[in-house]
Amino acid sequence: MHQLTTSNKILVYLLLAIVLIVFMTPIYIIVSSSIKPTPIMFQKPPAMLFEPTWDHYINLFTARPFGKFILNSLIVALGSTAFSLFFGSLAAYAISRIRHKRMNDVAFWILSMRMFPPIAVVVPYYIIFKASGLLDTPLALIIIYSTANIPLTVWLMKGFFDEVPRALEEAASIDGYNLLQIFWYVTLPLAAPGLAVSAVFCFIFSWNEFIFALMLTGSNAQTATVAVMSFWSSDAVQWGRIMAGSFIILIPGVIFVLTCQRWLVRGLTMGSVK
Amino acid sequence: MAYIRKRNRNIFLVFMMPAVLVLFGTTIYPMIYAGYLSFRSYDLAKLFVPRVFVGWANYQEIIASSEFLHTLTVTFKLMAMTLSVQLVLGVGIALLVTQRLPGMGIARTLLLIPMMISPVIVGLVWLFLYFPELGYLNYFLSFLGLGPYAWITSTDWALWAIAIADIWQWTPFIMMGTAAALTNLSPEPFEAAKLDGNSAWDVFWRVTLPQIRPVLISLMFLRAIDAFKIYDIIFVLTKGGPGDTTEVLSMYIYRQSFTFWRMGVGAAASFVSLIIIVVLITLFFKSLNREAHQA
Amino acid sequence: MSSIQLKSVVKRYGPVEVVHGIDLEIEKGEFVVLLGPSGCGKTTTLRMIAGLEDVSDGEMSIGGQVVNAVAPKDRGVAMVFQNYALYPHMTVRQNMEFALRPLKLEKGEVERRITETAVLLGLDELLARRPSQLSGGQRQRVAMGRALVRTPDVFLFDEPLSNLDAKLRTQVRLEIGKLHKRLGTTIVYVTHDQIEAMTLADKIVIMRDGYIEQTGSPQEVYTRPRNRFVATFIGSPAMNIVPATVKDGELAGDHISVPIPDRFRSKLTEGQAVDFGIRPPEIEQVKSENGAIAKARVEVTEYLGNEALLDLRIGSQELIAEVPANQCPGEDDEINIRFNPEALHIFDAQTGMSVEV
Repeated sequence: MHQLTTSNKILVYLLLAIVLIVFMTPIYIIVSSSIKPTPIMFQKPPAMLFEPTWDHYINLFTARPFGKFILNSLIVALGSTAFSLFFGSLAAYAISRIRHKRMNDVAFWILSMRMFPPIAVVVPYYIIFKASGLLDTPLALIIIYSTANIPLTVWLMKGFFDEVPRALEEAASIDGYNLLQIFWYVTLPLAAPGLAVSAVFCFIFSWNEFIFALMLTGSNAQTATVAVMSFWSSDAVQWGRIMAGSFIILIPGVIFVLTCQRWLVRGLTMGSVK
Repeated sequence: MAYIRKRNRNIFLVFMMPAVLVLFGTTIYPMIYAGYLSFRSYDLAKLFVPRVFVGWANYQEIIASSEFLHTLTVTFKLMAMTLSVQLVLGVGIALLVTQRLPGMGIARTLLLIPMMISPVIVGLVWLFLYFPELGYLNYFLSFLGLGPYAWITSTDWALWAIAIADIWQWTPFIMMGTAAALTNLSPEPFEAAKLDGNSAWDVFWRVTLPQIRPVLISLMFLRAIDAFKIYDIIFVLTKGGPGDTTEVLSMYIYRQSFTFWRMGVGAAASFVSLIIIVVLITLFFKSLNREAHQA
Repeated sequence: MSSIQLKSVVKRYGPVEVVHGIDLEIEKGEFVVLLGPSGCGKTTTLRMIAGLEDVSDGEMSIGGQVVNAVAPKDRGVAMVFQNYALYPHMTVRQNMEFALRPLKLEKGEVERRITETAVLLGLDELLARRPSQLSGGQRQRVAMGRALVRTPDVFLFDEPLSNLDAKLRTQVRLEIGKLHKRLGTTIVYVTHDQIEAMTLADKIVIMRDGYIEQTGSPQEVYTRPRNRFVATFIGSPAMNIVPATVKDGELAGDHISVPIPDRFRSKLTEGQAVDFGIRPPEIEQVKSENGAIAKARVEVTEYLGNEALLDLRIGSQELIAEVPANQCPGEDDEINIRFNPEALHIFDAQTGMSVEV
């Protein structure tokens, strides 16, 4: 765009190096601290070369049933993803194909779900779930996360469905297929990348979520994000375990970024930037 | 569409119903219940005290309280701090990263990681950096001749501590969207400007920026909505403290509902914050429409 | 003084050389067209003149000054881009104003230039509109206006008509020609369309694969093409090329035998493999077999109003002939044809070079 002279190029790389250091250092800290023996964890200058230890990871899983909590996170994330994908893509298809002036309102209403502060809904949820005995179960979280995941899926899938040419559906219709068949055999396969993207986004959101998980679960359905916080009590902060747990929690996010980079823009800006 | 006849339209509605029902159930129903709560004194601390209808008492208490006003101030102050820095930094880094130089693709990908990490983890690692006496941030800053700062324990710096962590996490979001918008721009006008000899600043301010302005507005809008709801990072770093210097709206609701167990008040506060956000969004869209008509 | 000079100019992208040491001289006020198929290096050459691409080797001079290291803005050139390169968010007026900013002119001068240019190009009604509100032809003119308003020494055009429909193309082509006559500025114009080149150029530079095949006036390149490529590239319908062997003073081809005109005798050797060329209008029908070069079968006739194009088959080859419409034979007829010997071209089959060179 703006052509650069050699001195300009050096400046760009220099600035970029600074930016990368700033943004990558905390990640490095998580990774390195998780295998750093506790005594040298806060050493100054920071210990860069050291004998790594797996104690933190071991303790993480033995001091608490962290494995169970990871499993909970997984169950909730996968469950909410499946739920949201199913209902969300159906709704998205309808919104994409129906030409009716009310459709914009419906779409906007669905989008507006995103705008509610979660904490505002925690209170009633807490009471409702307590009353119905759903407190501290994975199902509770799956239901709640759908409030965020379904709108996201709808918004993403609508965009993908819009891009499937109507001519293909019309051709199938002339060949004698009914709407459901067209949806299943023609449209959905062509919008499959959208499903993949939506699935990833739903998973990541559910996996990373904290506040609802904290409020609505106890020892049974606790998720990994809540569990990692439990190593911080009024007596002591067990940094090793916190870092180990943090590392595990951030893995899906990193994998996601590295593999789905192409679709990130579209998903996170709800399609407003392509 | 030729094949969408009345009968098909009904099938479409059937497609949509489940999602609508679920959303309805998970949002409208709790909202109604919360509304019900907000008009009652619902003190869970006192289990066997009847939940009495108290009319507008909860709302009055909130609106009149200086604490709530302070909460709003803190929330908007934090929003202003984080959004402004994220915008400038995000656009700046996007300009860097869209240069046609080797290695930019990798840099761009790596820089996306912070925003995909759970906010709790972000909070925890910054807690590590901020930790009184032990944290590394002050150590690093000392090389620049700055500090030391009592990040999360001082009333002067606590809000900044949160802002910095939030900026660290979300600047990549602005960068990502801006970079995408920049690469979508047609390169020819930039060549014409180069040929005509327009200065780099002129080109950025008068050619690049105006063209990406709509995208920037979208991005900032999304960020503003999220910033209004900020919670996880604060919970980890300061829990609203020290005192109430970092008590944002969500922390206030949390405190009322789960520290004092006054759920009625918590519910009322939730509604007030909902109204605020709806008003803000409406104002925002109105001003957008006005601009669109003027253009 | 605004002549442009290229001396052994080479352009490389990494290890790949795309322009191979070309030499070119452009006089002040000349309308020079760089013509050739896509990928021949014409646009790259234009961009090197503009300064948008660096010259890898060789010397580029503008106005007598070597400009290899000179920034585009200091070269006194203005460019009309293929896709117009208009600032989409600015009005027509603002587009032109922005182009003038670096010149740091007085406000009055800026206004004057914009008004004059707008009137000249018929844009005065459109000054407050944005590019998205203009038609293709109007955008074209705005692109020209933006270049014009800077009163450059050299105008560069990069395939300006390629995005317009046929009718508009003819119209704008005429306007560009008139503009040149009126302003007398040096113009370097890139196109793949030989009609544009023939009608507009003072000098045509035909390029292929990074080499200049021939430089000359439209008449020169039409009547005296240096090689087979130029011969078939210029002229529509294209020149017919027929393979033959030199035998006993004749060019012997498949079912066709052409006596060799005197001017070629000394340039050819017996047994030499050649391609001879004859343009469609130079193929004439004759009544009898005497004086005919060949017998041809008319496969398809295309009636064009004034002329007719005949798709002829002789032996294994196809030739296109252009005859007056009222002499058009019927399809599937057998006719006798002869060539105008003055219009014959002979090219060496191997090198493709004209034997007259």
